[in-house]
Amino acid sequence: MFELKIPKLGLTMEEAKLVSWQYSSGDEVKKDDPIFIIETDKVTYEVPAPSDGIIHPVAKTGETYPVEETVGYLAESREEYELLIQEHPSGAGAVEEMAPLKEKKPVAEKAPPGAVPPGRRIKASPLARKMASSHGLNLAEIKGTGPGARIIREDVERALEQREGAAEEEPIPRAADKGFPGKKARETMPITGIRRAIFDNMFMSLSRTAQLSLHTEACAEALVGLRDRLNKQVRGEELRFSFNAILVKIAATALRGHPRINASVDGDEIKVWEQIHIGVAMESEDALLVPVVRNPDLKSIREINRELNELIIKTRENRLLPDDLANGTFTISNLGFADIDHFTPILRPPESALLGVGRIVEKPVVKEGEILSQAMLSLSLTFDHRIIDGAPAARFLKAVKDIVEDPLLMIV
Amino acid sequence: MRTTKEEKLALYKKMLTVRAFEEKTGELFAQNLIPGFIHLSIGEEASSVGTCSVLREDDYVASTHRGHGHLIAKGADPKRMFAELFGRKTGYCKGKGGSMHIADFSLGILGANGVVGGGFPIIIGAGLSIKLRKTGQVGVVFFGDGAANRGTFHEAANMAAIWKLPVIFVCENNLYASTTPAAYSLAGGSIAGRASAYGIPGYVVNGNDILEVRKIVGKAVKQAREGNGPSIVENKTYRFRGHFEGDPQRYRTKNEIEDFKRKHDPIQLFNAALAKEGTLTEKLDKDLRDEVTTLIEEAVRYGQDQPLPQPEEALEDLYTNP
Amino acid sequence: MTERIISCSDALAEALGEEMERDETIFIIGEDLTAHDGIFGQFKGLNARFPGRVIDTPISETCIVGAGVGAALTGMRPLVDLHFADFFPTAMDEITNQTAKIRYMFGGQAKIPIVIWAPDGGGLSAAAQHSQSLESWFIHTPGLKVVVPSEPADVKGLIKSAIRDDNPVVFFQHKKLFAQTGPVPEGEYLIPLGKGDIKRHGTDITIITYSRMTYFCLEAAEQLKKEGIEAEIIDLRTLKPLDFDLIATSIQKTFHALVVHEACLTGGFGAEIAARIGEELFDYLDAPVMRIGAKDVPIPFSPVLERYVLPQVEDVVEGAKRVLNRQP
Repeated sequence: MFELKIPKLGLTMEEAKLVSWQYSSGDEVKKDDPIFIIETDKVTYEVPAPSDGIIHPVAKTGETYPVEETVGYLAESREEYELLIQEHPSGAGAVEEMAPLKEKKPVAEKAPPGAVPPGRRIKASPLARKMASSHGLNLAEIKGTGPGARIIREDVERALEQREGAAEEEPIPRAADKGFPGKKARETMPITGIRRAIFDNMFMSLSRTAQLSLHTEACAEALVGLRDRLNKQVRGEELRFSFNAILVKIAATALRGHPRINASVDGDEIKVWEQIHIGVAMESEDALLVPVVRNPDLKSIREINRELNELIIKTRENRLLPDDLANGTFTISNLGFADIDHFTPILRPPESALLGVGRIVEKPVVKEGEILSQAMLSLSLTFDHRIIDGAPAARFLKAVKDIVEDPLLMIV
Repeated sequence: MRTTKEEKLALYKKMLTVRAFEEKTGELFAQNLIPGFIHLSIGEEASSVGTCSVLREDDYVASTHRGHGHLIAKGADPKRMFAELFGRKTGYCKGKGGSMHIADFSLGILGANGVVGGGFPIIIGAGLSIKLRKTGQVGVVFFGDGAANRGTFHEAANMAAIWKLPVIFVCENNLYASTTPAAYSLAGGSIAGRASAYGIPGYVVNGNDILEVRKIVGKAVKQAREGNGPSIVENKTYRFRGHFEGDPQRYRTKNEIEDFKRKHDPIQLFNAALAKEGTLTEKLDKDLRDEVTTLIEEAVRYGQDQPLPQPEEALEDLYTNP
Repeated sequence: MTERIISCSDALAEALGEEMERDETIFIIGEDLTAHDGIFGQFKGLNARFPGRVIDTPISETCIVGAGVGAALTGMRPLVDLHFADFFPTAMDEITNQTAKIRYMFGGQAKIPIVIWAPDGGGLSAAAQHSQSLESWFIHTPGLKVVVPSEPADVKGLIKSAIRDDNPVVFFQHKKLFAQTGPVPEGEYLIPLGKGDIKRHGTDITIITYSRMTYFCLEAAEQLKKEGIEAEIIDLRTLKPLDFDLIATSIQKTFHALVVHEACLTGGFGAEIAARIGEELFDYLDAPVMRIGAKDVPIPFSPVLERYVLPQVEDVVEGAKRVLNRQP
């Protein structure tokens, strides 16, 4: 018999919200099946089953529990399970809180919770039947929330979302009406979890710091050339070099020469950090995450590139742990993929500076009276004027620009 | 027809009662205490009281939208009438009928009908039933000059005539059908005159002379009760108020109305006649009027004290239970 | 076209005045028309303007309608005023056996361009014989068209079209709407028969209604809006022929339908509409079509009883929520 507990996912993690159970009491699970989902303010995590067995959820979803708290049990046999349910009555309303599974893992051959016993007529509205049929859904697997447990449109839409992830368009074309003057939400989402954290942090950043942004442009010819040369040597499984990896190294080098940029406000004191940890902003699902590359000043571009790629994969697969996101001292945000030039990124307290990177674009440039076409890179620096003044900030940005234009400065 | 002194005073008091009831109803309506619409018969008391006074208690009466006088004359209780006008559950129709549809079947009143000329087919049915049951009852259908032009009048007169039904068609010709003068719409100019087309007697009566009404209607009732068939009695009278309360009355002049009030008020006329013959003194008159006033006031209070029906009671009385 | 705010009563008088001016074969016949210009003043000024063409009659409904039929068969365009919808039954033979069937029975040799007009509806304690909504009977009679407007502009546009239509049209106007005002275009303004109107756009439920209930539904929609429900309200205007396309387009957007009428529920027009929606829009329904109508009793006199029997705004709100599977 296993006790299912809230796992400790990071050094500083103390508690998590139990978002949902993936199974009901009595269901059979296999080792590593994701059995429940927890959420901290940094990550959402699927907890795997420690072994094959029969699951018995106990704790209620929607509540927050401390790390190591037992929230359920995994029995290794039917007899053990029978004993368990008598000793530990369930508080979990398992069937109602089915959360969407992120990965497409088939759920074995057993019937899903809420399924209709064979031989019973399934109640569904005509619209729901048509929708289910045109999308190849089995009505027997859909739970109905209409009167008398009738399956209605929203139940089918929910089932579709679970199957395909967030629907891009309405599952059934609806007649449009240009005469309607009001507005109705096509989607409503609660501000919780990671979104809540970003929501609060962004506002707090702008209201509690004295931030402003500087902009400049650097000639990117050398940078582009360096990346091309590095990628010529890429062999085998090694992933291609990204601009971000090189920029992390450039920023780290610049920070070494301008340590006061790598600082934070702590109460009434300014702390200038010894270590440099650079976060790189990434998009996941629909939230912003900033995993951190550790001590890039002490690593090669190759090492940084490898680490960055691992973080990218983890972000995409929703496998980032709190430790991946903690303790950054500086951040890079790259919006060049969307043709953005200059922007005014928002600081991520307690960091006091953030480098915004725009696109690399061929432009006409005047050099010694002549007009040349050159690849140019936009750079923006947001900094906290409470502890970093304009001139030092400008000098730092200039240092970044200089290294971009002459990458050999990284090894001098 | 002999009418004793006591009977005359009783008739007089009855007319006063009808008048007082109608005036009070008009007052209450003006104060918005009575919902819907009301049609007052002030000025027609001789016709209703006179006619009903020659009927047995078990004789039938089919009344009209202007039927309060018919009801009281036939013996209905003003208390329960007010209860009905106020829409209370203990009114004659449990609040479901209102002014236009008051009935008391225990007194042979087959209801007031809101459809003009709606009473004719009903009284034919009553007459036929009387004949089959051989009870010696008669039925009176009150109607106005307007109803005389409805198809139902002609079908009914015809049918009553061929079957010699014990019914009397009592017309209260007050010269106007809503806004339309009888002078314009009544072909032949006479309702009693139509009787000859059906081979039955027709009588024209001064409808404001109660003794005259009693005499002629009495004659028609006797004929009917003896099995000699129907008659048409045309009581010529006048209504002092509009077709309904709130009627702007642009179809007749104020002069005309005042003229009739002055010269043809059935109560005044009877009062004068009774005074002349010594039956009615000023004191007696005052006493009677006071009694009537008290009676009506008590009836109003009664009506207002009655409970309203529960909303769900609207669903009751649709069918009879076996 | 400029618009002014006038009442349904004035809109009717204005429209009829324009039509009678335009076509001298049009006349009006009925009871009590000249002294007060109609019981709701709806023929204001017409008798004075067109002497001899507003005709008072004795109380003889069978012959009033009969006169209309005979005149219509011999080249005239009568508007027959039957005073109250409740009096239609007194001339049922003339309306349903003669007016509705003559053209058909004689193989198309004749036409009957007649409008049979009356106020209908309850809510004034006028009791059982003066408060009815009887449109179902005439919708159920092949050969008749049935029109029931709600607002003054619709009254004007529809009465003109009804008069110009060569077929018999039964035209009801709710008693309580004669004083109702609204914007009405000046001059020539025609609304074709057989076309409904969206009085309020919405996305969540289609409410199909007509006559006075249109206003109740609009009020209900404001209450529903507070709970996040946007109702689309269709005022049918013409009941027969029915504008089913308008209904279909709406339900293809909202997937939910509620029919609201003041006539009593059983056998009311709502039953016919609901059946048709079920037949023709089955796959678009996320819930059964529901109907709101008066309780199946004669209209009682006492206001507390009448209010219970006739549909009220709260009944529409509750009905809409039930269709949408929300707790009332």
